[in-house]
Amino acid sequence: MSREKVAVLMGGRSLEREVSLASGERVVDALTSLGYRVLALDITPELVETLRAERPDCCYIALHGKDGEDGTIQELLEFLGIPYTGPGVTASALAWDKAVAKRLFLENDIPTPPWVTLTADAFKEAGAATALDLIPSVAGDYPLVVKPAKQGSALGLNRIDEASLLAEALLTALGYDDAAIIEKWIDGPELAVSVLNGLGGIEVLPPVEIVAKSGLFDFQAMYTQGETDYFVPARLQMSVFAEVERLARKVHELLGCRDVSRVDMVVGADGTPYVLECNTSPGMTQTSLLPMAAKAVGLSFQDVVERLTQAALSRRDSGTNFNTGV
Amino acid sequence: MGTARVVFDRWDGRYAERLGSVRSSAVRDLFAAASRSDMISFAGGMPEVRQVPTEAVAEAARDAILHEGAAALQYGSSDGRPQLRTIIVELMAEIGVRLGADELVVTAGAQQGLDLLAKTFLDPGDVIITEGPTYVGALQAFSAYQPQVICIPMDDDGMRVDLLADELARLGPRGAKFIYTIPNFQNPGGVTLTPERRRRLLELAREYDIPVIEDDPYGRLRFEGGHVKPLRALDDEVIYLGTFSKIFAPGLRLGWMTAPRPILAKVLLTKQAADLCGSAFAQVTAERYFTGTRWRKVLQGLTRTYAERRDVMLEALDEHFPPEARWTRPEGGFFVWVELPEFLDANAMLAEAVENGVTFVPGDGFFPDERGCNCMRLAFCYASPDDIREGVARLASVLEDRLELYRAFIAAGAISGGLREEGAA
Repeated sequence: MSREKVAVLMGGRSLEREVSLASGERVVDALTSLGYRVLALDITPELVETLRAERPDCCYIALHGKDGEDGTIQELLEFLGIPYTGPGVTASALAWDKAVAKRLFLENDIPTPPWVTLTADAFKEAGAATALDLIPSVAGDYPLVVKPAKQGSALGLNRIDEASLLAEALLTALGYDDAAIIEKWIDGPELAVSVLNGLGGIEVLPPVEIVAKSGLFDFQAMYTQGETDYFVPARLQMSVFAEVERLARKVHELLGCRDVSRVDMVVGADGTPYVLECNTSPGMTQTSLLPMAAKAVGLSFQDVVERLTQAALSRRDSGTNFNTGV
Repeated sequence: MGTARVVFDRWDGRYAERLGSVRSSAVRDLFAAASRSDMISFAGGMPEVRQVPTEAVAEAARDAILHEGAAALQYGSSDGRPQLRTIIVELMAEIGVRLGADELVVTAGAQQGLDLLAKTFLDPGDVIITEGPTYVGALQAFSAYQPQVICIPMDDDGMRVDLLADELARLGPRGAKFIYTIPNFQNPGGVTLTPERRRRLLELAREYDIPVIEDDPYGRLRFEGGHVKPLRALDDEVIYLGTFSKIFAPGLRLGWMTAPRPILAKVLLTKQAADLCGSAFAQVTAERYFTGTRWRKVLQGLTRTYAERRDVMLEALDEHFPPEARWTRPEGGFFVWVELPEFLDANAMLAEAVENGVTFVPGDGFFPDERGCNCMRLAFCYASPDDIREGVARLASVLEDRLELYRAFIAAGAISGGLREEGAA
């Protein structure tokens, strides 16, 4: 007898469409071999009609980027009464906006690099470009990282080493979102720490250490094989390990993530891990970090997909899906 | 707990060093492949093959098998079938080039010609000269052989031969292995090298004793103005690359190269190593198509189609694009090249454009270095006139949004305004 019907949502109109299709394809394969009845659905104007006609038992969200990760699709599925994988509306929206998430980190004693957020409107309407000279006094000395506040896959991200490059980097970042973050560059190992909710509560998977050959883990490095080296678990001192795990757990709980999240950090020279951001729909492609971490603890790709799907299915009758929260 | 380095490609580290210099842009690849159904694409330079009469091609292919099956299914000679070479000789005569059928070799598209020439001429570190921007496929073919690429800027009259002269003076006699040029409706610039500059380019090449490679895929797709003689018609030492991709169909992968006999002999050696011989089936099919159908009418129809689309695109650009942008006005071919103020990054703009349902190719891919970020190539060859109008309007609104921000930065003195003077196409 075949199992429940799962609709895998993938594609969409976001800039990470192709990444999402790659994730989705692998999820579809995994669910199929696990015996589920699987529907692969792109985000089109016919989506709601299809979902209403097909009545899947749950949706697996394999979307990345805007719409899929910012709470839009989650809100829609709440409305339709269809349980779905991953964090709810609030957690998605909080994590997606890095400017908001960083404020929350700061207020909750979670170390995050000093930063400034500036919106396109601040430049267009209030002359913010006349104050670029003040940025180092808040965000720290160069090098700085300039990135869009809301965007995945490090699109529009640049590291700049001097003030003369700041304006151009801001224009680039603002090409991807209406707000840009200018953040101190912390030199040290970059970590991706995946968190899964299991039967025994929150489980922090071994951190993955990312070493981009170019020195910057940008879109290119992320999706081109051979451009980046990964180490699992990260090569860290035991004391740092413990702190990394504590922080990942704290971020996951603070933002109200459920099922899964991936907390990205960088470890400073003094051994302090700084939290950069939290992803609520981690990539599931061939080179993605969550499957890599899971594998290190003996969880196969299928195991992860099964676990996330079961978590969504468990919310079918409990009503917990409808409080837009945790 | 031991640390394991994650291995995706267990052969990593064993590939040839030269592959390290061949890189594709992940961003560009992803966006260019953007597969949404409502996407209007100005990205790919794809011929409008829907206008090639499939019945006639089917008949040509059928005849190829039925009547010349023994030849079409067998290995052939490395330089191509004599019948097809005779057709090519006639095509070349029509554009003012006289040559014998033994002075050319049939290739798998002009692209194979580029690879064979690079393989024939280049050692790592050799200097070559191209236009800047230039055809991305040429840069790819050349870069596998690790040359140092020097780009000569263009203006509306094609390559700036005065700057070429400066560069050659610096490099000295035989200071470069070859000069690569697309003189007609350049890809991506859309501009055409004037007759005066053609003569000057050849003079300089002779003076410094450097071979010239003339890549001419679009020469027959002229919408207006008189025919301009190819470089090869002015100097029989020019290496000329032709293709059937734009006058018939790219799917057959057929092109040709003419070159001085000693060069041709070397190229044939490299070609034998590459593929023994080209597809005999494709060649017989092309022979049938060019002898048994009204291919000239088809080509005229195609040219009219491209001309109409060019008109629509230029009109739409005139109507919608802001004064800070400037663009070329091609008299043929497939492409318009748009240049934006220096600080605008076309890659960043592509993100917003894709979200608005229109794609193009950012300019930096057409340079071997970081230049061209503020430029975009728009292909008018494939989208319908209505889509072109709509796509340009969408692109203009993205651009306007960027410019509003850009102007705010200029007003605050955070960046300086104006178009970059050098590097203009």
